[in-house]
Amino acid sequence: MEKEKLKIGIYELTGCAGDALLIVDCEEELMNIFKAADIESFLMAKSDNRNGELDVALVEGSVSTEKEKEELLDIRRRSKVVVAIGNCACVGGIQAAFLDKKDWEKNFKKVYGTIAFTHTKPAQSKPIDAYIRVDHYLPGCPIGKEQFLSTFARMVGGNPPELYRFPVCVECKWHENDCLLNKDIPCLGPLTLAGCGSVCPDHNIPCFGCWGPTEEANLTSEYHLLLDKGFDLEMIKKRMANYSGTRIAEFFAQFRKEKR
Amino acid sequence: MRILKLQKNCLFPFLEAISKEAELWAPVAKGDKFAFDRVADFSRIAMNATRTIIPAKKIMVPANFNMFHFTEKGYKEDLSHVTDRILFGVHACDIHGLLTLDKIFTQVYPDPYYLEPRKRTMILGLSCWPDEHCFCKSTHTHIVEEGYDLFFTNLESCFLVWIGSSRGDDLIRLVPDLFDENLTEKDIKTYIQWQAERDNAFKTEIQFVRLPDLMELNYRAPFWEELGAACLACGSCTMVCPTCNCYNVMDKQFLGEKPGQRIRHWDSCTLPEYSEVAGGENFREKKFQRLKLWYTHKLQAYVSKYGKPSCVGCGRCLVTCPVQINVKTVAAALEGQEPEAFWKNLAKEATR
Repeated sequence: MEKEKLKIGIYELTGCAGDALLIVDCEEELMNIFKAADIESFLMAKSDNRNGELDVALVEGSVSTEKEKEELLDIRRRSKVVVAIGNCACVGGIQAAFLDKKDWEKNFKKVYGTIAFTHTKPAQSKPIDAYIRVDHYLPGCPIGKEQFLSTFARMVGGNPPELYRFPVCVECKWHENDCLLNKDIPCLGPLTLAGCGSVCPDHNIPCFGCWGPTEEANLTSEYHLLLDKGFDLEMIKKRMANYSGTRIAEFFAQFRKEKR
Repeated sequence: MRILKLQKNCLFPFLEAISKEAELWAPVAKGDKFAFDRVADFSRIAMNATRTIIPAKKIMVPANFNMFHFTEKGYKEDLSHVTDRILFGVHACDIHGLLTLDKIFTQVYPDPYYLEPRKRTMILGLSCWPDEHCFCKSTHTHIVEEGYDLFFTNLESCFLVWIGSSRGDDLIRLVPDLFDENLTEKDIKTYIQWQAERDNAFKTEIQFVRLPDLMELNYRAPFWEELGAACLACGSCTMVCPTCNCYNVMDKQFLGEKPGQRIRHWDSCTLPEYSEVAGGENFREKKFQRLKLWYTHKLQAYVSKYGKPSCVGCGRCLVTCPVQINVKTVAAALEGQEPEAFWKNLAKEATR
């Protein structure tokens, strides 16, 4: 008897759709992906989408409207397991990197002026775990092919994903790279989740943090280290905030507390 | 143990002859640092290399490799990454590093994934000259009495070649005419003088004999938390350490019919998940606790088990840690000094 296939849904909220696109781009494995599971919903790849019960929901993007929040709550209700895929879903992405509500309101006004929103109410962008329980986080901007495929294969095999929790530096040392920070290049490797295969440092390009911060990212130490090396305060802040989403707020709170 | 003489211009012909027996690996330039790599063109070999970024342990236990393939029916061991190798240009500290790994991987629980490449790798040591970060004289690992097949001392006029094993002797016998058995009195004098000059060239000295007691006495010292506050938890110190050997295993599955792989990769006790157990509890939740564990292991616990520290004085942590948490600055803190280090400055900044 053939095993019953997992029912999987792939959803996109606010983001560039880069994670969904990456899945479509797994060309050689695409047949295997669709063979291994029943893909119930995947707006980018198919038109006959159903909104029924799911074993696993993969959710890309941050929540930036009331409508998306409702959609997300509905996905959670229908799914046994929810996996946040990509930096926006995991930490809020670039669009969430405002420190407080006032900053966001100011920026929002600057962009949209006084346009009236009729179909939904906009909200400050947040990662999906601001609203629902998330079982697993698959980081990346976008997610990596290899990590996505092995995660997908593990889940299809009935196992939870096994993802790196350590920073880029570990993979960077596996590849025997000379530390860029030690050459006074502003690398965010120590703060950033591994899994990318340290592709940028492998090519002498500093890590920009696109896989988001690790659970223990020592932003304070790195911040002072970069200041010590003579980098501009605003540049450091911007670079750190870029992919840290709402996590950057924790850092500035921590930093302000220390300065007091 | 025999000692032979090899003229400088005979080295490449010798390497040429032995590289027919196995893959020849040696330190080559990588940026302004060095790395062990397979060499066919011997002119790439960095004869005056300082430490490589990653020590020779990467040959015995690669950073990341497949242990076996598995399906629902069973598993099949994978040692396809292991080949016959000759590792040339291994410095004394790294030979001691391998001897330390031998104790860990071959005694209580012999590890086949270590034993196989270890057995199939010949070690051809090469003398070196200390830079400002080397302190192997302090750990007594600047000389080797075992752990090599051949050892080349690089004198100005020639090499003196120590034969450390019968396998090493076999290599010499491939081209015996390249070697001279008759060392002159002048050769011996030159060697003694070289050794004296080399021993005087060390700029970093650490009193290791005092450190086990100082670790014990400083167990609750406030500087540990200062270290923890600055530590980036990047794991680099453990990756580059010749005696760090911890690893994790992960099962990698694939779609379709492809069998799964059990991947073994270097792990680090300075990372939070290392001391985490089922249920999410963590025995060493804070960074300073994990750093203290690492230094306890290197400077104290290993001494009580094996009679010497598990630090070989290579200086890799000194040149790698971006916030200067390393054996030198930690030893200084243990001695009650204020080391010149980023972590110390950060602590001062925080209390300002």
